[in-house]
Amino acid sequence: MRTQHEIEVWGTILFLDITSQVDLKIAIEQVNQYVHHIDEVFSTYKENSVISQLRRNEITIEECSSEVIEVWNLCDHIKELTQGAFDPWAVVGGFDPSGLVKGWAADNCAEILQQAGAQHIQINAAGDLSLRGGFTPDKPWTIGVINPDNRLEILQTFEIQDGAIATSGTYERGAHISDPHTGMIAIGAKSATVLGPNGAIADALATALMVAGRDGAIWFTSKELSEYSAWVIDRHENVAWSIGPAAT
Amino acid sequence: MKRLLLIAAGTLSGLGAVLSVTPPQLGAADLGLGTGPAIVPTTTPAPAPTKTATPPPVKSINGTFTGPVVNVSYGNVQVEITVSNGQITDARALQAPSGRNDRYTNFALPILKEQTLAAQSTNIQGASGASYTTYGWRKSLQGAIAKAGI
Repeated sequence: MRTQHEIEVWGTILFLDITSQVDLKIAIEQVNQYVHHIDEVFSTYKENSVISQLRRNEITIEECSSEVIEVWNLCDHIKELTQGAFDPWAVVGGFDPSGLVKGWAADNCAEILQQAGAQHIQINAAGDLSLRGGFTPDKPWTIGVINPDNRLEILQTFEIQDGAIATSGTYERGAHISDPHTGMIAIGAKSATVLGPNGAIADALATALMVAGRDGAIWFTSKELSEYSAWVIDRHENVAWSIGPAAT
Repeated sequence: MKRLLLIAAGTLSGLGAVLSVTPPQLGAADLGLGTGPAIVPTTTPAPAPTKTATPPPVKSINGTFTGPVVNVSYGNVQVEITVSNGQITDARALQAPSGRNDRYTNFALPILKEQTLAAQSTNIQGASGASYTTYGWRKSLQGAIAKAGI
C-alpha cells in the first residue's frame, strides 16, 4: 500500500511517500518522534537545544551525545572535502550544522522505514530528499529540480533508485548562506543541486557549491565523491554546469 | 506535464551550451537524465503499489471548493479546486506569497498543480527546491478536497 504523510517540523514540512506491504504505523510514529528529537537537539532557533548551548560555549563537543558528535565529525570531513567552502564553524554565532542536518536526518528517517520493511521510500525535507527502493520495483524515483528564477518550471529531472538529492538556493528562505571566507552572502551560484548516496554529504555539498560556484567542480573529481553529481546554475552568466556520473 | 516541459525547454534554450535540453516530446520513461549515483536495485520483487490518488469515478460531485488560508513564513497560500464528476479538473492558488520579488509569487504552484491534477500519471514524484509554499499548497489543498468530499 502506498501512503503519504506530512510532519510539521524544522520550520517546514517533512513529506513521506511510502509503499509497503507491512504495517508501518509504529515506524512512522518512530520517524515522527525522531524528527522532533532532532529539532530539539539541532535547532539553532531553540535556546535550549544542544546546538544552541554548544554555540554559546556552555558545553563542549565532548559532552554531547553521539549523534551530535557524528554530525560534528561529518561537518569537519566535508569542510575538508570542500576546501573550507562548507564551514559550519564560520557561521556568525558559532557552530551551525544546519546546512547538513536536514539531509542527514532525512537519510536516517528512510533508514527507520526501510528497517521496518518499507519497500519504496521518499523523504522530502523541504527540498532535501532521501530515496530508497525506487518508485516502483522497476522504476526509479523521478525528481524534478525547480527553476530558482521561475518557480513555475522544472528545469531538470534526475532518476534515483537509492540515494539522496539536495538543492540549495538563495530563493528558499532569502539569502541564508554566507561565504565562510568572507562572511558575505554566498554568490557562487544561483542554485546548486547535488545527488549521491549520502544525504548529509549531498546537502552539505549543495550548500558549499552556493559559496564556491564553479571552483567546487574539482571536489567531485576526488575518489570519495566519485558517486556524487552536481547540477548548478551560475549566478551571473545564467548558464548551468554539471559534473559527475549523473551529469547531463 | 507536457505543457510544463515545453515551458522548461523554452527556458533552457537560453541557458547555454553546457545544458542538454530534454526534448519535450519524450515520455515519462525517457525523462531520466542520467541514472543517478549508486544505483543498486535492492528491492525484492513486490506487487505493484496501489495508487492512492485516484478518486472513485462514480461520485457525481461538481463545483469549486476553497481550501483554508495557510500561513507560510512570508505570506499566505489558499487553493481552490474545481471538481467535475468527483475528479479534480483544476487547482489554482487564490493567494500565494508575494515577496521581495514578484517573480516568486507563483512559486512552484503549477508544478504542484500538475501533481495534484495528475497524481496518477505525473512524471515526477518529488521536487527539489520547493519549500514553504509546498507546505501551504498541500495544507490548503487537503482542506479543499475535504470540503468537496472526494
